[in-house]
Amino acid sequence: MLRTVAARLVQIIGLVLAVAIVNFTLLHIAPGDAAVVIAGESGSGDPEVLDEIRALYGLDKPFINQFGSYLGRVATGDFGQSYRFNEPVTSLVRDRIGATVILGTTAILFAIIVGIAVGVYTARRPESWFSHLATVLALIGFSIPVFFLGIQLIILFASVLDWLPAGRMQDLRFEGNFIQQWIDIAEHLILPAFTLGVLYLAQYSRQTRASMLETLQSDFVRTARSKGLSERTVVYKHALRNAVIPVITLAGLQLGTILSGALIVETVFDWPGLGRLAFESVQARDAPVLLGLLMLSSILVILANLATDLVYRLIDPRIRVGGSAA
Amino acid sequence: MPNETSPAQGSDAEAILSVRDLVVTFGSFTAVNGTSFDLFPGETLAVVGESGSGKSVTALSIMRLVELGTRGKIEQGEILFRRDNGEVVDLVGLSENEMREVRGNDISMIFQEPLTSLNPVYTVGNQVAEAVQLHQGVDKAEGMARALEMFQQVRIPDPEQRLEQFPHEMSGGMRQRVMIAMALSCDPRVLIADEPTTALDVTIQAQILGLMRDLRQTTGAAVMIITHDMGVVAEVADRVVVMNQAEIVEQGDVYDLFENPRERYTQALLAAVPRLGSMTGLDEPAPFDLVEMETVEMKQVDS
Repeated sequence: MLRTVAARLVQIIGLVLAVAIVNFTLLHIAPGDAAVVIAGESGSGDPEVLDEIRALYGLDKPFINQFGSYLGRVATGDFGQSYRFNEPVTSLVRDRIGATVILGTTAILFAIIVGIAVGVYTARRPESWFSHLATVLALIGFSIPVFFLGIQLIILFASVLDWLPAGRMQDLRFEGNFIQQWIDIAEHLILPAFTLGVLYLAQYSRQTRASMLETLQSDFVRTARSKGLSERTVVYKHALRNAVIPVITLAGLQLGTILSGALIVETVFDWPGLGRLAFESVQARDAPVLLGLLMLSSILVILANLATDLVYRLIDPRIRVGGSAA
Repeated sequence: MPNETSPAQGSDAEAILSVRDLVVTFGSFTAVNGTSFDLFPGETLAVVGESGSGKSVTALSIMRLVELGTRGKIEQGEILFRRDNGEVVDLVGLSENEMREVRGNDISMIFQEPLTSLNPVYTVGNQVAEAVQLHQGVDKAEGMARALEMFQQVRIPDPEQRLEQFPHEMSGGMRQRVMIAMALSCDPRVLIADEPTTALDVTIQAQILGLMRDLRQTTGAAVMIITHDMGVVAEVADRVVVMNQAEIVEQGDVYDLFENPRERYTQALLAAVPRLGSMTGLDEPAPFDLVEMETVEMKQVDS
């Protein structure tokens, strides 16, 4: 177990390096001059000022030198200064990561719990009206564009019904104690988390349904029934643990993509997280911030895979043995 | 087709299980059509027939598992089970809750596929103990103690270590022993074995059959064994029920049946068994003879 974790951490270093090379190169060859962006922020397009800025940020140096010094700084934990905010990338990320973690975790947990519950129910009663409804809703769920769903929800729940706030993470005029503050955040969280979760929810419920239907037909489920176990024990103890394995695979793969979903949802709901920061950085050609975020998301993908592996081991003993032998 | 309903052996004894005019359908398909037979205490009854003849569906109907997990339906008939106290109940009329107390406790079952019949994510000890805990209301420790006892009884080597293993760490023969241990753990009065040796290789088959024969003697359970292998029938059975196309074509004492098969189908079935030495003197292996159902004549396969 420990060896697996250690091996994965070594992999992270190699992968992050590869990601850094690719992203740095791509951003470098992309059209647009960072010096113009920086100069634009300070309100001057003077050629002399531009040269000065280039010299200050090292933009006049050859590509390989720029990359080398970037890597050197990254190795010491310095991801550079944002062109736009004139603030270290690390502190920008630190300020915003909490909001994204709250949003992403809520959305994924909502999707996994509700998705598996719906999947199990529809697998056990495939002919019920709820199963048919769930099938249609799931189809809508993963074909509807996230931004469109988000906007429709804002119109319905914030504008027409006025039940929930339309955007941001906290009320601007908020005053109150710690608990009231979290209640306020929770109210703001409902719509964006639901919007982000729906896409995953649809996929998890369908995956659970399919693998549950298959598992319920398997020989060991028949054995469990022949022992005289109740249908509840058969389904939840014997079948579910086997049926969730493909759902975990799916969830693990998608955990890494949560940032790209968050990018859209945070932009629609004005949620102050990393997704919106990424979107704004693209618009502002803020290369250091973008590089930092891309690096972070690649680490996230690897950590998600590692977490998936560990959960697998917990659930499926066949993998446990294969792992210790390797 | 004529049904031989009076059992060859001891019609004075009281049957522990009596199937009467059982009809089981899957949609418009009739899988079992008016089957009647008896199972007496302490005997081994073999149900033989080719694939699709309704043997397994009959077994699953007795367990009332045909309605769970498959789309089968018991249309008519009775499955009369004699309880310990002599009371006779019709299993077809029992509620699902009442039936659960019968399953694994009074009547238990071994399946054809030992490789897939155990849950891959729980240890085998757990899976055996689960049935004991359920039916005897004991705690985990006592359940595991009973599982250990059963593992010793089915002659699993290193039983203490084996209890903690997962199914994938065991061979097919060992897994079938675990299944037998599980099935016998609550001292059932009837054991149904659905092709228990089909998936195993020949030497393991002999071991498992020998084990089942010994266990029948020590536990006194009545055994209903389903097979398409006439060799297995000759090895273990006291009486035989021959099924073909959802109906019973013949039943009787195993010696009578092998010596004197009355029905054409039974004759054909017995004739289909390859004989040792039948290819002596040939230069190369020849295809087996095919049996002509109508005339029960052996036909050489064109090669």
